[in-house]
Amino acid sequence: MLRKKIKIINELGMHARPATMIVKVATKYRSDFKIIKDDSEINGKSIMGVMTLAAEYGSILELIADGVDEEFLLEEISQLFVDKFGEE
Amino acid sequence: MKILKGISVSSGIAIGKVQIVERQKLKISRNNIKEHEVDNEVLKFENSLQNVVADIDYLIDNLSHSQDNKDILETHKMILRDPELEKKIKKLINFELISLEKAIEIHFSDIKEIFKNMENDYYSQRFSDYDDVAYRLLSHVLQQEDKSLDHIEENSILVMRNISPTLVTKVFAKNISGLCMEKGSRNSHSSIIARSMNLPMVVNIHQLLSEISENEIVILNGDKGEIILNPNPKTLEKYKKTFLKQIKDEQKLLEIKNKKTITKDGKYIKLMSNIEIPEEISQVQNVKSKGIGLFRTEFLFMDTNELPSENKQYKIYKEIAEKCYPESVVIRTMDIGGDKLSNILNIEHEENPNLGCRGIRISLRYNELFKTQINAILRANIVGNIKIMFPMISCVAEVKKIKKIIQECSKSLKNKKERYNSNIEIGAMIEIPSAAVTSDLIAQECDFLSIGTNDLVQYTLAVDRDNSSVEEYYQPTDLAVLRLIKMTVDNAHKENIKVALCGEMASEKKYIPLLLGLGIDEFSVSPGRLLAVKNEIRKTDYQEAKNLHKKIFQGLSEN
Repeated sequence: MLRKKIKIINELGMHARPATMIVKVATKYRSDFKIIKDDSEINGKSIMGVMTLAAEYGSILELIADGVDEEFLLEEISQLFVDKFGEE
Repeated sequence: MKILKGISVSSGIAIGKVQIVERQKLKISRNNIKEHEVDNEVLKFENSLQNVVADIDYLIDNLSHSQDNKDILETHKMILRDPELEKKIKKLINFELISLEKAIEIHFSDIKEIFKNMENDYYSQRFSDYDDVAYRLLSHVLQQEDKSLDHIEENSILVMRNISPTLVTKVFAKNISGLCMEKGSRNSHSSIIARSMNLPMVVNIHQLLSEISENEIVILNGDKGEIILNPNPKTLEKYKKTFLKQIKDEQKLLEIKNKKTITKDGKYIKLMSNIEIPEEISQVQNVKSKGIGLFRTEFLFMDTNELPSENKQYKIYKEIAEKCYPESVVIRTMDIGGDKLSNILNIEHEENPNLGCRGIRISLRYNELFKTQINAILRANIVGNIKIMFPMISCVAEVKKIKKIIQECSKSLKNKKERYNSNIEIGAMIEIPSAAVTSDLIAQECDFLSIGTNDLVQYTLAVDRDNSSVEEYYQPTDLAVLRLIKMTVDNAHKENIKVALCGEMASEKKYIPLLLGLGIDEFSVSPGRLLAVKNEIRKTDYQEAKNLHKKIFQGLSEN
């Protein structure tokens, strides 16, 4: 199991498009994927879960991947955050 | 005065009173199930999910040309494939014996609560996506018919969230002046029908339903794709003039309905209709079309999870043939890409479907599918006025192969003692440059040729029609395209067969003299455009057109 903390650096926060991108990437992998924000934990492969995180600019999330391809999953997901989800 | 922008779907101006038709409320009458119904209920859930996802895939592939629209649909798909959705619904069915429809309702109203309680405005708005998905899923499960039209007044402008194809036909019969939708796309079935009926329509107007109110007078501009709320007197006056002129023009066109399609100097040109769905036949009859020059059969394979049976196809073809008799009906065998059949057949995803296994290539690969369609056509041809046409032909060898298959089909029908008529004209669509270049050989094997300009332009100039960033390259009058058309016409005439043109180019008035000059014998256009095209042909001098095309060729080669 791998854990990683990450900060939301795109201005619009976790709106529909980033949420869609995360789920799209996460569902490519076999590992389980969870996201924790404050006290709530959600399934990172569930669009509803990711959207209801309501994570705004500056908030910190903890990503947890567990499974055979966990490091690849975390790497690709982290990259999305770093790239600000393609936001300009 | 306020202008709301949307997408133009069917041109024309309409002025009228707004009549809003709300999405019908779905009624859930069954809340609980019995223990022994559980398995069935779960199965029903899985099937519905699959079907609705397939519907959305279809919309993504075919009907949405804007990236925004596609993104929304992708999100909808993701909502349906959400593992939490499946878990929750199955739990409700399995452990609480709740009916599928009730479970869907519970799940989505729970989500609504979550969204509602969010502080951020943006998120609370996101619920609309879930609302849409819930509606899609529920209406699929309940399979409810819409009965919300009973109170609609004549000459009004119908405002809805989105409209189904059947509903368009229904409102047309109620003498509506225009259609205005919050959602929708240019090439949905509903839009196709509106166009074929010349019913002004604008779709995809953001926030339409919250901006507009019942009974107010609005102007709908189908040419520009916008509606005007609270028009000031000056604007209203201006549009009223256009509106009246349009009505007058339409009436004028109606006057030539019963007249022959001949050029000014007396040359007869056969003018037929293109149809995409059987419902358009009433419009074909209305405009007194000389039969159907292109009956697309793709609709049979859309929105469905099973292949259309021979009998089903036979009945549809026969009915259309009977309604057109004694004029002919040219049935085009299915022209779909593998991507659209992937939910039925096990076809792998293609990177570039336009250059992939589509049209006749699918038919020749999935022989049984093709034979079913040929059998149905041969059987329907007992009416005697059917011709058959093949899309995406690239060489003469394909035509020879097809002819052999038709013979085999006749033989097997004979053995089965079915009634059929194998005395049928066959034609190739010329829409791939290689077919145009070898049209001398193809013409020898065919009874007629039909030029599909949409694809011919796309393939000759390597331009995707739906890609707006290369719009400027999509030129139907490019010299290369015109030469291919001319070559095809000349080769066909050498074999004494006729050439029809059924692409969109034929329905643009400005191209008519040029196309006549190139020697096209027959035109097939959308029924909504037929009278306007007829009018243009009647205004054209055939001899002059012949000279015109030479001049244009010369001009283009000098540029």
